[in-house]
Amino acid sequence: MAEVDGEFTAFVNERGAALLRVAYALAGNQHAAEDLLQNALAKAYARWPRIRGDAEPYVKRILYHDQVSGWRRRARRPEVPLAELPERAVTGEEDTDLRLLLRDALRALPPRQRAVLTLRYLEDLSVEQTAALLGCRTGTVASQSAKALAKLRQLVPGLDERTSRAEVTR
Amino acid sequence: MSTSLDETLRAAVRELADHAGPAPDLATRALGRGRRLRRRRRVTAAGAALVAVVAVTLPFVLFRPRPTPPPTTPPTAPPVTVTPSPAMRPTPGADWAGKPLVLPGDWVVIRAQATGGSGSGVLLDRGRGRYFTTDRYDGIFPAPTGSLVAVTQEDRPREVGLVDTANGRTRWYEVGPALSAPAWSPDGRRLLFTTQRFDHFGFVVLGRDGARKTHPVDMKRFLCTDYCFFVWTRDGREVALQQTDPNRPRSESARHPRRGVQLFSADDGRPTRFEPMPGDPAGPWSWSPDGSLVVVQGQQEPLLVETATGRVVNQLPTADAVWVTDDRLLYRRPHGSRDFVLADLSGRELVRQPLPKQLVDLEVTVAPR
Repeated sequence: MAEVDGEFTAFVNERGAALLRVAYALAGNQHAAEDLLQNALAKAYARWPRIRGDAEPYVKRILYHDQVSGWRRRARRPEVPLAELPERAVTGEEDTDLRLLLRDALRALPPRQRAVLTLRYLEDLSVEQTAALLGCRTGTVASQSAKALAKLRQLVPGLDERTSRAEVTR
Repeated sequence: MSTSLDETLRAAVRELADHAGPAPDLATRALGRGRRLRRRRRVTAAGAALVAVVAVTLPFVLFRPRPTPPPTTPPTAPPVTVTPSPAMRPTPGADWAGKPLVLPGDWVVIRAQATGGSGSGVLLDRGRGRYFTTDRYDGIFPAPTGSLVAVTQEDRPREVGLVDTANGRTRWYEVGPALSAPAWSPDGRRLLFTTQRFDHFGFVVLGRDGARKTHPVDMKRFLCTDYCFFVWTRDGREVALQQTDPNRPRSESARHPRRGVQLFSADDGRPTRFEPMPGDPAGPWSWSPDGSLVVVQGQQEPLLVETATGRVVNQLPTADAVWVTDDRLLYRRPHGSRDFVLADLSGRELVRQPLPKQLVDLEVTVAPR
C-alpha cells in the first residue's frame, strides 16, 4: 500500500501541473478544474496496480470522458460561468486583444465543444484521434467543432475579419 | 489578417490552459478521494444489495466557508447592465452558510455543485436551517421541498440514492440503464429520468418509496431530435418532451427547430396534449403559475411565449428562469455572473442579489422557500 501511495504521489507531483492545464482548458475555471482532475486522479489511484505504467493517458481519458459525460447528463443547460463579455467590437488592433476575447468566449462554450477544441488545439490530436479518445464518430467531432466555431463567432464579433479563414473543422 | 483563425484559436486555448493556478496539495486530496472510491468499490463488489442499502449516519458535514482566495482569472470588463439601476442587495457575509440564502422573490438556494456535478457540493438542510457539504457523491439533487436528497454515483450508473436529511437514512434504488440526471417533481414526491436506451427511449418515474414506472415513448410518432429530455410541468401531473419541427431545415451547427412540446401523463405515460412553443422549457418552473406563459430556449434566443398560441411575447436574457409570481422571473445573470436577479417579464432587472464568493463558480439550484 505504501508503495502504491508513494508511486501515485510521485506521479501527481511530477505530472499534476500539466494535467491541471488540460483540466483547466476543459473546465474553464480553477475550482472546477481541480475538481475534475481530483476525480480523475482518484479513479487512477483506485486502479493504480493495473495502470501504473500508463497513468497519464489513463487520467487524460478520464478527464475527457468525465467532461463529456457531464455534458450528457446536463444536456445543454449549464455552461461554465464567466463574467459578461466586453461589448467592444474587434477592430484590428492587437492579436492579444482578440485572443483575450477568444479565451473568455471559450469558457462560455458547452463542455463537449470545449473538449473537442482542447484535444485539437492543446493536445494537437487529429480529428480521428479526437474521435477515438471521445468514443464518437469523426463526423461528430467535426460537427462539434463547427458548433463551437459558430458560438465563438457569435461571442467574438469580427472574429473572421481579424483572422484569415484557415480551415479549422477538417 | 495577421494570423489564421486556426493559429489564433490554438493560442487562445493554450492561454486558457495557462491560467491554471498551482494546486499544492493535489496529491493528498486525490489520495483521499481515491481511497474513498476504492472502499466504495470494494463494498459494491462484495455484493451490495440492489435495493435498500441503509446508511445510519448523515453523509453530510457542516459547510464552513473558507476565506476566499484571490481570483484566479484576470478581471474582465464590468457586467453590462441592460436596465437602469436595479435595487442592489448586499453580498452575504462570511457566516452565510448558517441560514438559508434567501433570494429576491423569496426563493432559496438549495444546492451548489461544480459544473458537471462531480466533487463536493453544498446543500441546504431545511430541517436544520443551514448548509452542509459532501464529497461522497458525484451528483446531489435536493428535492424542492422536504428533506429528501437524490444522489448519484458514477460507479452505480443504474441506481439513484435517496438520502433523508431528517434521519440520515440512505436507500438505493435500481432505476435502469442509460439514465439522465434525476429531476424532482415540484412537490418533491417523484423523480423523473429520461432513459436513452437505443430503441427504448422514454421516461421513468420513481416514487419516494422506490415504486418505479417506465414509460416508453415512440420517437417516430413524437419526433424529437438534437437534445431530448423530459421535464415536469409546473403542476407535476405531466411531463413534456421537445418536439422537432419536421418542416424546417435542421443543421448540426444549430439547435434544431421546435414546434412545441408533447405532454404525457406522469402516472400512466399516455400522451395528453400538445403545447406550441418554438423552443425548450428548462424545467417545471419555466411555466408561469397560471400556465399561460412559458420561458423557453429558442433556436437562437431565450424567449417568453404564450402557451395557448405559441406566440413569442419577447426575448429574455436567459432560458434558465423560474417564475416566482405571475409577473416576476428569477434567474442568474447570463453566463453565470455572480448575481441572481428578479426581473419583470420584459427582462427589466428589479432586484439583484450577489451570491457568496464560494458559490460564484458553482452550478446553483434554487427552490421556493
